[in-house]
Amino acid sequence: MNWRTTGIIISREYLNKVKKKSFIWTTLLVPILVAGLTIGLMAVMMNTKEKVKNIAVVDESGIVVPYMTDSETIHYQVLEGIPVDSVKVRLADMGFDGVLSIGALDEAEKTVPADLFSPKPFGMELVDNINARINRAVEDYRIASYNIEGLDQILKDVKANVRLHSYTISDSGEEKVSEAGVYSILSMVLGIFLFMFITLFGSMVMSSVIEEKSSRVVEVLVSSVKATELMFGKIIGIALVALTQFLLWIVLSVAIISIGGAAIGFDKLAGGNPTEMASTMGVDAEQLEAAAQAADEGGIATVLTTLTNLPWGQLIGLFLVYFIFGYLLYASMFAAIGSAVENEGDTQQLQLPLTIPLMLAYIIALYAFRAPDSSIAFWGSIIPFTSPIVMISRLPFGVPAWELILSIVLLIGTFVLLAWASAKIYKVGILMFGKKSTWKDLWKWFKQK
Amino acid sequence: MAIIECKNVCKNFGEKVALDHVSLEIPEGKIFGLLGPNGAGKTTLIRIINRITIPTDGEVWFNGRPITQADVEKIGYMPEERGLYRKMKVGDQAMYLAQLKGMSARDAQQALKEWFVRFGIQSWWDKKVEELSKGMAQKLQFITTVVHKPSLMILDEPFSGFDPVNAEIIRQEILRLKEEGATIILSTHNMESVEELCDDIALINKARLVITGGVEEIRRKYGNNNVELVWTDADGRHTEVLPRETDGASTLRTYLDKEGVQINSYKELMPRMNDIFIKLVTEGEE
Repeated sequence: MNWRTTGIIISREYLNKVKKKSFIWTTLLVPILVAGLTIGLMAVMMNTKEKVKNIAVVDESGIVVPYMTDSETIHYQVLEGIPVDSVKVRLADMGFDGVLSIGALDEAEKTVPADLFSPKPFGMELVDNINARINRAVEDYRIASYNIEGLDQILKDVKANVRLHSYTISDSGEEKVSEAGVYSILSMVLGIFLFMFITLFGSMVMSSVIEEKSSRVVEVLVSSVKATELMFGKIIGIALVALTQFLLWIVLSVAIISIGGAAIGFDKLAGGNPTEMASTMGVDAEQLEAAAQAADEGGIATVLTTLTNLPWGQLIGLFLVYFIFGYLLYASMFAAIGSAVENEGDTQQLQLPLTIPLMLAYIIALYAFRAPDSSIAFWGSIIPFTSPIVMISRLPFGVPAWELILSIVLLIGTFVLLAWASAKIYKVGILMFGKKSTWKDLWKWFKQK
Repeated sequence: MAIIECKNVCKNFGEKVALDHVSLEIPEGKIFGLLGPNGAGKTTLIRIINRITIPTDGEVWFNGRPITQADVEKIGYMPEERGLYRKMKVGDQAMYLAQLKGMSARDAQQALKEWFVRFGIQSWWDKKVEELSKGMAQKLQFITTVVHKPSLMILDEPFSGFDPVNAEIIRQEILRLKEEGATIILSTHNMESVEELCDDIALINKARLVITGGVEEIRRKYGNNNVELVWTDADGRHTEVLPRETDGASTLRTYLDKEGVQINSYKELMPRMNDIFIKLVTEGEE
């Protein structure tokens, strides 16, 4: 390998791609798009509150009414002396979305019949809210029936608010707050990103090879440098383009999200308002104080803690390793295919054996977050053609070191083998003009001395 | 001294034999014509000399020793299938190719500027290659082939696609480079330019070397050793073919002594390279 000439090839390939308008646009637009989507999603999450529902309450038992206090999304209106049946038929006229009918108290069973009528079905949240309130009313009624002295104090004392926290334990016994949802999303994002990068930049290598062949500049080039130097110079040059774009995307995305996030009041969402949350959950005022602390740790806060607890250094490091070798593996094969054709239209049939494992890896990766330790995810992350994409999406859930090492060693080994084979094909292919090549031809070129 | 020696060079592509024990010497400082019909193996031989392809068997020697990868910096190659990066600027493109041939950026820039001035194309430097006409692109290709002052230049069909004016410019440049001591391998189907430019030739047909040697020598060998005398008298123009062994001076004198006769020309009758080419190639068919 002549590093001086290879360096010249790398720098031409790199500068040529980086100076292209399309590169500049995608580098700028993708982070804006991603950030826009993220901020938009956050904004929607913050502002979509269910429309306030008006619920009429007809309580014959008399024990439920005190518990029917308005929440953020439900307004209860107690109707006295009106039979349920007459309300049912005039719901719309009276401006109600539904009517809750509580029957007379069953003294023996210490319970009440409860029915909810509405022209349209209600969402889960509302039904749970009403249900919780009625249950609380009945429970309080039952407790009160024991006539225990100092009950209020006792109740206050026994009130428990246990919240389940999930932790992951490392071998060293270190515990970390975890949240399955965060892992799932991260797993998907990483898998999709790697798939996109390998496909995008792999086919960029192919186009670049085809460009040199179809413009007939290639024979002059290989009279100055070895064909393998030309091929690897090209692959390395485009890898640098990919890394540049990757880096710029991260920097720009972070910048835009933090600026944009501050503008729309991201912090409000992140911090959460315990009172608000509690009331929508149907928790009464007494519980608020206890709930406040729990709520602080729940929801977005947990997500953030989980995110900050992730081994980012390891994740980014392994992402780069899998990207670089996955890209190198596919890019060398794409280069071999590019060498066999003179225009991009002829690549489809030849590309198939490359796109199939890539698609397969993508599908397994999307499945991986549901079952990161399933056998399909395991084998997908070991077999080199799918391993970069599948392994990276398993990574957030934790992968044993031996699996990582095995998968990386196999990946690098396969890359070396295939790069050698691709170079042999490439060397012959770039000088073959005028004939549409098939896989059989590629095989013949490979065997050629 | 031979700048290139091919020693029993063989090349097989699978079952197909592209070159079958080809041995030839290319003398230094001369223009060497590499001839042969399409598919004879010329391009394969050129690619082997350029180290683009590795021979199945045999060796190529450069300046008296086996050729190495470093030697390609002393070779300039203009292939028949030639092109440029369409989207690149003319200057960048020329700089790139010159640097790949081992020139430093500074030397390349300086040498290229000189060539651009010589061809009167300084204004093209910042143009994109796709804006050039075919003839313009050919000029640029010629420059990039010779800018690093190679001691050996391999030009495959250098005149194809050139208009007569530009073809003449290139012809003059080739002669000038030879004058400066460079060796040129010219692969062409244009037999007139072979007669005009080449000192030596090799003819390859069906993977084998058919003949190699000096152009004059070969033409003489395939000629029937006659001379041709053209004279004009009162009856008009006459052509007479005489055996070469004839004493030229006395023959001429007889005609000169005749009344009212004017000698138009007296020359050795040489077969056209074109005829020799066709003869040798069709003989191979049988």
